[in-house]
Amino acid sequence: MKTSRITEEERAKAFTQVKKPEVIEKQRLAVRYHVEDYDTNDRPRRFLQAFAAILNHSNYRFALDHFVRVSAKCSRCAVHCQVYQATGDPKDIPCYRSELLLSVYRRHFTMAGSLRGKFFATGHLTDDKIEEMAESFYNCTACKRCTNECPVGIDHALITHLGRYILSEIGIAPRALVVSTREQLEGATGNTSAIPVPALVDTLEFLEEDMEEELGVKIRFPIDVEGAEFVFFPAVSDFLMEAETLMGVAAVFTATGDSWSIGTGYFDGINYGLFYSDRILERVVKKIDAETRRLKGDKVLIGECGHASRSAKYFLPTYCGGKDAYPVINIMEYTHRVFKEGKLKLRPNTITERVTYHDPCNIARQRWIIDQPRELLRAICSDYVEMTPNEDENVCCGGGGGTVSIDEIRPYRTTVGGKLKADQIRRTGAKYVVAPCANCKKQLRELVEDQGIDCEVVGLHDLLYKAIIFDKQQKPVITEDIERT
Amino acid sequence: MAELVVGDLTVEVDEDGFIQEPEKWNELVAKALAETEGVEEMTEEHWKLVYYLREYYQKFGIAPMIRKLCKETGFPLKKVYELFPSGPAKGACKVAGLAKPTGCV
Repeated sequence: MKTSRITEEERAKAFTQVKKPEVIEKQRLAVRYHVEDYDTNDRPRRFLQAFAAILNHSNYRFALDHFVRVSAKCSRCAVHCQVYQATGDPKDIPCYRSELLLSVYRRHFTMAGSLRGKFFATGHLTDDKIEEMAESFYNCTACKRCTNECPVGIDHALITHLGRYILSEIGIAPRALVVSTREQLEGATGNTSAIPVPALVDTLEFLEEDMEEELGVKIRFPIDVEGAEFVFFPAVSDFLMEAETLMGVAAVFTATGDSWSIGTGYFDGINYGLFYSDRILERVVKKIDAETRRLKGDKVLIGECGHASRSAKYFLPTYCGGKDAYPVINIMEYTHRVFKEGKLKLRPNTITERVTYHDPCNIARQRWIIDQPRELLRAICSDYVEMTPNEDENVCCGGGGGTVSIDEIRPYRTTVGGKLKADQIRRTGAKYVVAPCANCKKQLRELVEDQGIDCEVVGLHDLLYKAIIFDKQQKPVITEDIERT
Repeated sequence: MAELVVGDLTVEVDEDGFIQEPEKWNELVAKALAETEGVEEMTEEHWKLVYYLREYYQKFGIAPMIRKLCKETGFPLKKVYELFPSGPAKGACKVAGLAKPTGCV
């Protein structure tokens, strides 16, 4: 999967400094994303304090102890890192990036390291090193390709995650993420896109009308239905951007008759904590748990969103009841299941244009959701092609790890991060790129625009919506059923 | 915090140029914001979009869903991008004096 390096011109564009000199002077941080004002005094000491506290209250120490022993810095990961493939800068090799944090751990938190450091009076954590970390950890898209390929099993993405967590504890985190989670946890609306409930209801009513006009079928978005089997948490931005995806989901449920509901107490699947802070991660996951409990639901259903699915699936058990936590499923798993059971009927060859599928890293890397969307797509498309590499070896869209929300680094994302993806998409010649993830959709749309690729980025349910066959006798009954429950 | 000066009015804007004091919005401010967005002239179509956004925002506290915006103004998405090159969220909302959209928008 080699790609050509970026040109000097592209490099200049991707690494443009957006910050003003006075900000750099004040924050003493020249990174390409906005950071809120923070205490710049004594940064190394505060970094180490935060690091120590995190080690005391988590299991990271086990992982780091192992990693510092086995890390061979062999750079095998270089071949698999799309960022390094595009820039060719040794500082973008995953091993190098991980070593930034591992060296701090080795120097300050292991016996041998601190003795050696004290004896030779070297290796202290410095301001420059913190600045390098702040830049480097957000150049990574946390796609975990390198993790799968590392011969000694170092989880570079975990190290990046921890590095960002420590940095956020001393006030260094992209403003785009911080502002969103602040609104989600402390704001009046309680979700990352700041959508108030009346606006949500208005939007859903509008979609219901639209679907009735288009399909002639009465399709409902059940709101606050207690005891529904599934409580639905899409990426909340879908309510602003992805009308067709939501319509597809509602249409699937109308066709199958299963009960589901959107809760007005909390309806956001997005969890930026996964990208920069475990503390935020925990608080957001607990909101999902609380809303499911309030509605007396059985299962948590996450919409088309990679990181929302992974954060709920993996961390609901961690923070909300272990084995007793609510089961989490992704909407594609549900749709695939009802399709296999015969409850959902799809019209073959509905989509005649060429279609390709982009695997979101967060659900494909560990081979969680690979075949389900492909089977559904093959059922409705007459010209389906694969990108290469694909499945668990897919290439990231270039906006993973929360970077997609940071608008000021868009030139970086579309020239460096997404370069390999752009080449892939171009090679398929597809009209539709199916990306079942709010994060990937946004990034890929910007990517195809900036790179001048002629294709449309859609969700899986956008296409399914056009292909669902409704049972004529069933449909009015289902709507009333949902209302009664 | 950066500032946008329109005649004798000074409006605070954030790093991305979104105004921080929505109550100070008027047509002159909109024109100044449009300039930062590469919109040379605010035509009737621009104003139609901007006023629709403002009306919805004042009622619901958020911008409308893009599909709704397109349907109710009658502009296809492509047209919205022609009018405001940075798109509905980053371009049109900025000129209409809305807050910067957060999250995966």
